[in-house]
Amino acid sequence: MTRRKSVIPGFGISMGITITILSIVVLIPLCSLVVFSAKLSLSEFIDTVTKPRVLAGYYVSISTAFIASLINVLMGLILAWILVRYDFKGKKFIDGIIELPFALPTAVAGISLTHLTTTNGWVGQIFYNLFGIQIAYTRVGITVALIFIGIPFVVRSVQPVLEKIDKQYEEAAFILGADAKTTFKKVIFPEILPAIISGFTLAFARCIGEYGSVVFIAGNTPYETEIAPLLIMSKLQEYDYSAATSIALVMLGISMVILSVNAIVQANVSRRVNGKI
Amino acid sequence: MELRKENKVLKYFLITISFIFLGVFLILPLVYIVITALRDGISGYINAVSDEYAIKAALLTIQATAWAVIVNTIFGIAAAWLITKYSFKGKKLLSTFIDLPVTVSPIIAGLIYVLTFGRQSGLYPILDSYGIQIIFAVPGIVLATIFVTFPFISRELVPVLTAQGTDEEEAASLMGAGTFTIFRKVTFPHIKWALLYGVVLCTARAMGEFGAVSVLSGHLRGKTNTLPLYIELLYQGYDFTGAFAASSILVVLAVIVLILRLVIENKGNKELDLNK
Amino acid sequence: MGYVELKNINKHFKNFHASKDINISIEKGRLVALLGPSGSGKTTILRMIAGLENPDSGEILIDGKVVNNVPGSERGIGFVFQNYALFRYMNVYDNIAFGLRVKKVPEAKIKERVTELISLIDCEGLEKRYPSQLSGGQRQRVAFARALAPNPQILLLDEPFAAIDAKVRLELRTWLREMITKLGITSIFVTHDQDEAIEVADEIIVTNEGRVEQSGNPQELYKNPATPFVARFIGNSVEVKNYEKFRYFEKCSGDSTAYLRPEFVSIFKKGESVQFANSAEEAVVEDIIFRGSNLEVRVRLHGNLISSIRSINDSEIKVGETVDVFIYRLYVVAGDEVVLATNTSLQDEDIVI
Repeated sequence: MTRRKSVIPGFGISMGITITILSIVVLIPLCSLVVFSAKLSLSEFIDTVTKPRVLAGYYVSISTAFIASLINVLMGLILAWILVRYDFKGKKFIDGIIELPFALPTAVAGISLTHLTTTNGWVGQIFYNLFGIQIAYTRVGITVALIFIGIPFVVRSVQPVLEKIDKQYEEAAFILGADAKTTFKKVIFPEILPAIISGFTLAFARCIGEYGSVVFIAGNTPYETEIAPLLIMSKLQEYDYSAATSIALVMLGISMVILSVNAIVQANVSRRVNGKI
Repeated sequence: MELRKENKVLKYFLITISFIFLGVFLILPLVYIVITALRDGISGYINAVSDEYAIKAALLTIQATAWAVIVNTIFGIAAAWLITKYSFKGKKLLSTFIDLPVTVSPIIAGLIYVLTFGRQSGLYPILDSYGIQIIFAVPGIVLATIFVTFPFISRELVPVLTAQGTDEEEAASLMGAGTFTIFRKVTFPHIKWALLYGVVLCTARAMGEFGAVSVLSGHLRGKTNTLPLYIELLYQGYDFTGAFAASSILVVLAVIVLILRLVIENKGNKELDLNK
Repeated sequence: MGYVELKNINKHFKNFHASKDINISIEKGRLVALLGPSGSGKTTILRMIAGLENPDSGEILIDGKVVNNVPGSERGIGFVFQNYALFRYMNVYDNIAFGLRVKKVPEAKIKERVTELISLIDCEGLEKRYPSQLSGGQRQRVAFARALAPNPQILLLDEPFAAIDAKVRLELRTWLREMITKLGITSIFVTHDQDEAIEVADEIIVTNEGRVEQSGNPQELYKNPATPFVARFIGNSVEVKNYEKFRYFEKCSGDSTAYLRPEFVSIFKKGESVQFANSAEEAVVEDIIFRGSNLEVRVRLHGNLISSIRSINDSEIKVGETVDVFIYRLYVVAGDEVVLATNTSLQDEDIVI
């Protein structure tokens, strides 16, 4: 690593501390993952990750995470909107409670949501008796847990952007004759779209890997409600590290794709807005 | 305000939806935990939370959380200082590695530590000869907790330090101040609220971590069970009162975290306004 | 009757009285400046004409019709915002076309109009660029074109030059003045810069603390300030409390203050002036500031630091030098009255000659 000379002292010590801790906590373990992966045989890898049960696991994880994140985009947009644009009683309370999924241990959320949504739980029995829908121990239940986990992501990425939009943009659209709907569609929405995408991808990536809140509510029936992280967990408990690593590598690949899509979108947007072409 | 008559119907419709949504998804689970925990009366509750294994689990959770906070504070300050005060090659890569742990599934985090320190690893014989056991033991739990909260503090500090720039440090340095004097007198006052905020977030996540810790813990009751793992154990043993009672401790802590967050945010904002 | 009229307008923001009984009348085709210090309520007036704010009381008339309840988009106005508020996610073409598209103008007509405007603002070839890829001056021109696209009858501009570099600002002033004169559109712009107002506008409305202090053409305002505020605000006035000590000036009334502009003062080297040899006073030069095209000379006279402008072609004066100072006239403010006081030696001479 080379650097431009700076008059501020302390480069050596801060670099030393950073690299040491980063190595122990992240780099060395990551290397061992790479080393271990390199030892896997390709056929064994493909064999593991294409087993119908594993494929079903990926499908369950991705589809529930996707639906949950879409619902969170809609709700996150509404929440960010009311927090920024409206004044009402309980606004501070809502603003504070939105972070609950970050603060509440996932396992605690998991058991509580499970009990609430079983066919004789407070919420579950309403849905079961009225619509015949079972929530806990189905994919609906997994989606519910993932909605809980993903609530803060979209709100917290859209809210600051919405706050910063200059009122002049809306006034300009208004004087030029645009109605509220057109103004939202043409002026406000393009401004917050990058933040929505960023919130969605972060929530999506987080939900695919989520374990604690989901294991309780999922029921864990193979092919039906068995999520991919649980498959890794069971392989680990059988000390089958090769299979566990294979499944994990595919999941890492999926998260990387999701996060790169976001990175590309954000880079394009900032190029357009900041004029660096 | 005057621009257009605010659409009252839309406003109250959106606010109502929001309240219902958050009520069902956030408030109801909290209320349910508290009610279920107290189902067998106060004495049942006290019995459940003062169980020997519950207390041991709580102590282990505190231990792991304390380690995570200490290590991540030291790391967070050093890394944020490094990233914002100097320009060097590889900075982007460094930031990517720091943020990596939160984008990885906790189960995968557990997995990579098993691969690093487990029996099949090259490091195992070396550590074993010194009598150090990491996985299925307390050090593994501590490491996993550090890992899942790794960027929490640096992530709060970097934006504050970026906004502050390097002028003040350069000025202090030209006047002859050393590294620690500059940090203590010039930089620290800028970041103290952000640091506290990061510590709060780190604490919250550390005490609740389940997946990664679950992989690395040997699930030894009284030895390597943290509070969340202990809750799982009780729950799977159909001791729902016990599980929800232990959960209620974490609920209270979560609520405290949320309140602290708001307080710190307010204080930090006020100080920011004063500086403007 | 004026084309744009404000009658007895009052406006509060919470406890702040932003407009106090405003009465304005603007003739068709005029280029008018709303001039005042920040917080004087000039932008509020502009925003009320645009329909971005509603007055608490009073009437706004455009072309003889009360428009208080007409939405801004139907008042036939174009608005250029202080920071232009160009839509960041639309290119130049789409920005200018926006107002026509929301009015559902056929696309062929839009194309015709936008092309015409782009050539008017000299921005051919920039149609596909985004606002971030334009210079400050280009952004202002695009904002101007966007406001003009729907063919407004009135053009409103909020601090149109505030966001531009000093050098480009001078060019744009001239450009905007020419453009508006060419189009003949009634225009009102807000500014806090008196040079800008004097140079660009046909008519200036001076505002202060929510009131209209005076309105009139720039020369009138300059020569005959109607209120103490205008006397102080226009020109680089220096406050003089003990003006009765100056030779050939008398105290007007008990409690009064005078305001002296640099152009009311002449400074001569000793013996340089024959005309004022007897009527001038002596003073010592304290400071000389090079202003590029001329010099500002500051002298101490009866305890007051007085400025005067001296051409760089005149013979050199040094700091510390004793010079002759002659004051032609000054504004005396007593209560709400402003009186122009002239050096009495000039009147005497008139009589003698």
